[in-house]
Amino acid sequence: MPQISAPITVPDTEKEQKPKSKSRPDRGYLVICWNDPVNLMDYVTHVFQTVFGWPKAKAEKHMLQVHQNGKSLLVRETFEKAEHYVHQLQSYGLNATMEREE
Amino acid sequence: MKFVPGPNKDAPEPVLIYRINSAEESLLLAMLRLYPVLENSYHRISRDPKAAASAEQRLLEESMAQQRVAHKKKVEALFHTPQRFFKEALGERHLVLTAAQLEWLLQVLNDVRVGSWVRLGCPDLEKTAPLNVSRASARSLQAMHICGQFQLALLEAVK
Repeated sequence: MPQISAPITVPDTEKEQKPKSKSRPDRGYLVICWNDPVNLMDYVTHVFQTVFGWPKAKAEKHMLQVHQNGKSLLVRETFEKAEHYVHQLQSYGLNATMEREE
Repeated sequence: MKFVPGPNKDAPEPVLIYRINSAEESLLLAMLRLYPVLENSYHRISRDPKAAASAEQRLLEESMAQQRVAHKKKVEALFHTPQRFFKEALGERHLVLTAAQLEWLLQVLNDVRVGSWVRLGCPDLEKTAPLNVSRASARSLQAMHICGQFQLALLEAVK
């Protein structure tokens, strides 16, 4: 499995539109899916649709990011939600992790 | 194995139907008998090396272990009551799954696929270099590819 050490970058499409406030929970955890040569592209798309409820086009876009760029930032979330998503993705055998946003 | 599209009005809940021949059925059952293959320690909560000993890492491994126990019970139920899954209709053999059964079957097959890949030493299959295949590793390679074919056939229903 390729080890990718490039810094984590956040795509524009995933950025928060609203200004941050003190009352908002800390959504500083990134759920990232990493490329591997074993999970099938159709399967990865299906898992993204199932876990996040995304339409197929969005799921495919992230699947292709994983395939072509080595990783894809899936969501930015609170600790608890990020952990939940990582558990879900890993239950399907995907190589997904949660990383603290720097 | 091939997905049979169309509404299934007779079923008490929506089901997905796949036409399956006897060789495919035997092969599918043989793959399911291998489950689980992937080790719980395969799962990583983070790429941060400090997370390896964290409570979150431990929780992830426990969660994956619990899921494998639950899936194993479902696989055993399939072996004990195959008539719940395999049915004869119009002279054809069918694999009949609910949406929930499709999901766990996909997870089980992918566990065998990824676990077999790990046993092979995590080769980069996209490279053209031939694998050094021994008799033992040939089994892992076969399981990996057979599970992949079943996954693709199952996914036809959700495309």
